[in-house]
Amino acid sequence: MSEKYDSHSLVDATEPNFLEETFDYGLPPLIRFDGPLVEYIDGQPVEFDPATLAGRDIVITDTTFRDGQQARPPYTVEQMVHIYDLLAKLGGPRGVIRQTEFFLYTKNDRATLDRCRELGHAFPECTGWIRAVKGDFRLVKEARLKESGMLTSCSDYHIFQKLKFKSRQECMDSYCEVVDAAFEAGVRPRCHLEDVTRADIEGFVLPFVERLMRMSEQVPDELKAKIRLCDTMGFGVSFPGVELPRSIPKLIYKLNREVGVPGDRLEWHGHNDFHKVHTNGATAWLYGCDAVNTTLFGFGERTGNPPLEGAVIEYIALKGELCGLQTQVITEIADYMRSIGLPVPDNYPLVGKAFNTTRAGIHAGGLRQDERIYNIFDTTKLLGRPPRVALTDKSGSDGVALWVNEFFGLKGDQRISVIKCHKVARWVNDQYEKEGRMTAISDEELETQVRELMPQYWEKYKG
Amino acid sequence: MATVQERVVAVTARVLQLDPSEIKPEYTFTVDLGAESVQSVELVAMFEEEFGIEMDEDAALAVTNVGDAVAFITKVCQEQGVEV
Repeated sequence: MSEKYDSHSLVDATEPNFLEETFDYGLPPLIRFDGPLVEYIDGQPVEFDPATLAGRDIVITDTTFRDGQQARPPYTVEQMVHIYDLLAKLGGPRGVIRQTEFFLYTKNDRATLDRCRELGHAFPECTGWIRAVKGDFRLVKEARLKESGMLTSCSDYHIFQKLKFKSRQECMDSYCEVVDAAFEAGVRPRCHLEDVTRADIEGFVLPFVERLMRMSEQVPDELKAKIRLCDTMGFGVSFPGVELPRSIPKLIYKLNREVGVPGDRLEWHGHNDFHKVHTNGATAWLYGCDAVNTTLFGFGERTGNPPLEGAVIEYIALKGELCGLQTQVITEIADYMRSIGLPVPDNYPLVGKAFNTTRAGIHAGGLRQDERIYNIFDTTKLLGRPPRVALTDKSGSDGVALWVNEFFGLKGDQRISVIKCHKVARWVNDQYEKEGRMTAISDEELETQVRELMPQYWEKYKG
Repeated sequence: MATVQERVVAVTARVLQLDPSEIKPEYTFTVDLGAESVQSVELVAMFEEEFGIEMDEDAALAVTNVGDAVAFITKVCQEQGVEV
């Protein structure tokens, strides 16, 4: 018996439909929804309306100086101050990059914090990070910070095996004592629920957070505890239907709607051990958590954290507008980070040297006709990075012509035809066919060839 | 003076390193005469140089065989006032 399928008739057209309501070239491709997200929680369907994202004050927070530094040798004070300055510029006047956190333990940590605050930026707000030790709040208070993260690990792996508590009750009481100390010090505690995606949610996490919410009822709004959901080992999963504790939708729902943690006091902190880190962060936004914690280029403990620059692009894609973000600063930051020795792979999205470089001749041909064919969005406008071709044996004459036009900065009718680039194309071809070359051709080599083989154009555009 | 066809054949033979006697009007540049991608571009460039004309690159590269190239070049020469 054959299956029955619906019939789909061709909608013929003589003019292209570029689906520009989604693929507006001047923005990252928008993420548009055609209905609610549905998750079955405790056997009941629960709807999450993504349309609320437009009105919610979702934000990006940063931990480049804390988790980010756990993956590399320490930054100097000067470097951190410069990076902080660039983060402020990138985040724009609306403070989309809302907070960044600092260690407070060394003289250098504290000096950096002071220098960053002296810049006078409203955002990102500087916050601290301490152990769950009452005495550490002295550091936070001395640093005149309004908020500090504190470790409140919540899986039994941590409670019993790492922290050696005798019982969950003892652990919870200990954490709450520190939270009380924070309130007394006039500091908002941000409780980092370490290893939450491997914890007993019903048995420990919800009772603990419920108690934190009750304690918070006794203090002014600006002191009420925040909750950071730390997917310490990257176990979190974004798909609907996944069980707790790995389900991000269920975890956020339980905290948000069953325990009463408002979205603006919930934050997601992920790790990339299973290549899920960026999507998991965006999922947290969708299901009611307002803040996603990130690091520049994803550098962080082990496999890293949600990449900040990826979150910026996702933010725009979900919001449908730039929201004051100065996206070209992403490239400025990447250039700076490379200059101080941070290794950024060439093919790394958005910032790698070759992220929008094509090597295939057939793609270069497409780019030559209309750059939208093989460029993700207007990378020239948003990142200051025009699409490029790197020349190899696969690049063909189209690739050579594209390189030459980009080199001379020619667009539209000004562009030099493939035909006029034939001598350079021949030289490239011979490198592989006759010289047996096995590597890509550098920009410097091509520049030399263009000067020699296309002297009339060199004179006109570079002379 | 050589005809357009003789000049097209001579240029094709030079670029593709063939004997002119091997080149027939019905032969395609790529399949029959073995022109590779870069050679197709070189052929158009050399035709431009030979006849002193400018050809639209997409239209020129769309020409597939020798006879069509003769007709195309003749037409462009007429349009651009080049005597052949």
